[in-house]
Parts: sequence; structure tokens; C-alpha cells
Amino acid sequence: MTFDQFLQYVFSGVTTGSIYALTALGFTLIYNATNVINFAQGEFVMLGGLTAVSLHEAGAPLALAFVGAVAIVATVGVVFQLLAIRPLHSAGILAQIIVTVGASLALRTGAMLIWGREALPLPPFTGDEPIKVSEATILPQTLWVLGLTLVIVVTLQLFYRRTLTGKAVRACSVNQGAARLMGISYSKVVLLSFGMSAAISAAGGVMITPVSFMVYSSGALIGLKGFAAAIFGGLGNPAGAVFGGLALGILETLAIGALPMSGASGYKDAVAFLILLIVLFVKPQGLFGGRSVEKA
Amino acid sequence: MSELSLSQVSTGYGRIQILHDIDLRVGDGEIVTIVGANGAGKTTLLRVISGLIGIWGGTVTFKGRSLSRSSVEARAGLGLVQIPEGRQLFGSMTVEENLELGAYCRRRDGRPFLEKRDEVFTLFPRLGERRRQQAGTLSGGEQQMLAIGRALMAEPEMLLLDEPSMGLAPLLVKEIFTTLRELNSRGLGMLLVEQDARIALKLADRGMVMERGRVVLEDKASALLDNPEVQAIYFGQHGGGGGSRTENE
Repeated sequence: MTFDQFLQYVFSGVTTGSIYALTALGFTLIYNATNVINFAQGEFVMLGGLTAVSLHEAGAPLALAFVGAVAIVATVGVVFQLLAIRPLHSAGILAQIIVTVGASLALRTGAMLIWGREALPLPPFTGDEPIKVSEATILPQTLWVLGLTLVIVVTLQLFYRRTLTGKAVRACSVNQGAARLMGISYSKVVLLSFGMSAAISAAGGVMITPVSFMVYSSGALIGLKGFAAAIFGGLGNPAGAVFGGLALGILETLAIGALPMSGASGYKDAVAFLILLIVLFVKPQGLFGGRSVEKA
Repeated sequence: MSELSLSQVSTGYGRIQILHDIDLRVGDGEIVTIVGANGAGKTTLLRVISGLIGIWGGTVTFKGRSLSRSSVEARAGLGLVQIPEGRQLFGSMTVEENLELGAYCRRRDGRPFLEKRDEVFTLFPRLGERRRQQAGTLSGGEQQMLAIGRALMAEPEMLLLDEPSMGLAPLLVKEIFTTLRELNSRGLGMLLVEQDARIALKLADRGMVMERGRVVLEDKASALLDNPEVQAIYFGQHGGGGGSRTENE
């Protein structure tokens, strides 16, 4: 592999990696608030992309379609928590996790009924003229994906570190009982976490649709990759989730490039899960995992 | 008038009844202490008052209004603030962040944060020195100071204290209780649950003895201190009632 080829793979890897990162971040937000692994997380990504397609087809400019799709999916996340998760509060974590599996099937089927089985495109945010970097090229959309991912991650950190509401969310994940004694409403923190989690993943979905299209079934694989990324970085650690997502995306594309046979890209998905398995064998708490996984 | 009153309160976990017909009154600015062995129901009683567990029967009122419809979250805002057993700090967050969260229930109607924070730092200068340190890295005594400071940020009218002496060296216990006395002299009422019956009764105005979920004795604290029965059961041989404090209630 020449350096330019390497660069090309990296560019491609960070694009998908950013989406894994945002999905992993979605897992992290919900996990930290509730200890629930939300297996419908990938569907939020898919819904974000497809909703934006519809809004754009209805005449909304891209920026508006982006914001609108994120807002709509955030609402879906909140309603999902209220209707599916909250009633199971006393039934325990496992029941809640199982209901997320069911919800993912329901959302996928619903999406198929609304948008059909065709993969739908969205125009790139600003043109599709590739930019030359050395001998490799980078799509403007890749820069959008990277830039917006960075903005989301930094904003989220500022929210957690600087705002009272963000600190209240952290307090709930450290010690729910004590947080409630301080007057923090745990149920509102959970709702907020579901809304933010859905919004972040939906944003990922909108950004990636111009690159790889979106179809009703896309959420399943993206969700699993995002989950792998969250585990890779250490479940519960937002910075780890972002690192895990980017690392997974890059490793995945590099592995395809390194495999000598033709049709190697068919093994792309296997690479992600191979990495997940290795991490679970060697370091089950993930690369930066502070909280123990058994806690779930 | 910030009076806390319980009347005929009973509760339990699952089908097992823990508290039986508890009557209790803590007047404005008064300190009432509850002494009793492990498993007597002291912590459960505090959890009832802060709303962490529901009641089966009876009433809990604060400042003349029933708390039956107030959530845990709402009670701190009413001025009824609990310092839970084992401090329950937010260990991975800084001292200052813990204080900020203590003031959470007063985010709309409270006094300015910085003013209150500086009062806490005046009361506990060591917390001021460690304001950027993670709460989990503080010593046991400092953690108890932070737990009290965090509660004060909520502008309480009545403090519910659960075992403030737990795990602390005698000298630190003394320091903490001196602070509690000072806070009380400013008019803060307290309901104090404490294993160390002697030091608790010295601080309190009135005391109640609990056994197996019932109040079996109630008197002025000074009278309980002199009560031979109480001395025999709760003060231990060397004073301090420290014999059984290794277990968790």
C-alpha cells in the first residue's frame, strides 16, 4: 500500500468512523443515565437520514432538513422512552434492554412502510468536487462529517462540564439517590438523555446519507458497529466512544486495503466484530473503561 | 415555622414491616436525635421523611403541609434536606461541583451561589483549599464536611443527618459535632440518627430510643444521658457506643 492509498483509506475510514462515533455516543448517553443498552440506537441513525431525505424532497433547504430531522428523531427518542422504557422501570434493566430490541424491529418495519425498500440519497451539503490532498482525494462531505462531529462532541463536553443541567446529568450517573436528594429529577434526566442520544445519532444519519445513501435496514449494522465502538472505547466513557468509533472506522477500511484478495470489502463488517471480540477477550472494560461492565 | 411531624407512620420493604406507628416531632430550630441499634429502623425512618421510600400508613408533615404528594426531588426545595448515610458524594466530580449540585434545588429562587459557597468555605476552610479536587480523593473527615456543606447550599430549614460520625476518628467526630452545634445556634433544626448515642444526646435537645421499628423511649436528651438503662445498652463499656459500628445498617 502506498502512502497515498493509505491516506485515501484513512479519509474514507474517518467518514464512516465519525458515524460510528456518534452512534456510540448515543449508546453512552443512554447507558450512563439508565444502564440500559439501547439496541434501537442504529434506528435513530436511519430515521435521521430518511427523515432528512423526505424533508428535503418536500422542499426544505438542506440545513433546515438537517435540523428538522434531528428535532423529529429527538422527539421519537423521548416518546420511545415514555411509552416503551418508562413503564418497565420496576421490571428491571434486562426487560428494558429487550424492549429496545423489539422497538428496533418496529422502527425498521415502520420505516420500510414509509420510505420503501430503496436506498435514498441526499445531495452533499456543499458540492461533490473532490479536494486533492497529495495524491489522495477527500470529498467535501467528509470535511462536513468530521467538522460537525467535532462540533457535536465539543458541545456535549461543554454541556457536561459547564452547565448546571449537564452536571445534574453527570450526578445522576454517579449516584442517582443522592442526586434526587439534591432536588434533581431523575426521570427528567433520563428523558433528556434519550432525546439527546437520539438527536446525536440522527445527526450522524443525516451527514452520512450523501455519502452512502440510507435505506430502512441500514440501522441494524450501524447500530451494531456503534455498539462495538462504544465497547471498544470503554462503555460509559464519551471520549472513549468517539475514539472507538473513529478507530473502528479506520481499522475497517485499512483492513480491506491490506487484504490481498479481490472482493475483500465483503469482509469489512467481519473486521469490526473481530475487533469487538478481541477487545472483549483481552480487555473487557474497553480501552478507556472506568466503570465496570458487570454493573450493567 | 419549620416543624417536622410524623404521626402513626408505618412502612416496610416488600411484605416485611420495618416501622410501626412512629410518632415524632422536631420543632423549629430543635435538635432531636434517634438512637438505637443496627436494624432498629433509624435509616428507614429518615428515608421515609426524605421520600426515598413510601409509607403504608400515617402522615408526614413539614411546615404544616403534608408531604404525601411531594416527590423526593421536591422535598429539598421545601427546606428539608438529607445528608445520607455514607455521605454519598459525587466522587468523580470536584468539591465545587458538589456544592453547585447541592444548590440545584435553589437554582431559581435561591441566594447567589458564590455567596453561599464562600460561607461554606468559611465554615470549612479545608474545602476551599481543595475546591478543584475530586470529592472522592478527600479524606473521610473532609468528605463529611463536604456532605454538610453540600446540604447547606440547599438553604435548609431542617437537616436530616444519617450517621455523621460513621468511619471518622474521634477527634474529627468532635469537630463535626461542634460545627453542627454552631449551625443549630443559627436556628437550623436537625433530626440526627446516630450510633454514637452519647455524643448525639449531648448535642440534642430531645432524644428517642428506637427498637425493632418502634419508639420505646422518648425524653429530654439530658434525661436520656442519665438514664441507666440507656447507658447500659447504648453507651457500651468505654463510652461512645462504638462496639457495633463495624456493621452497616
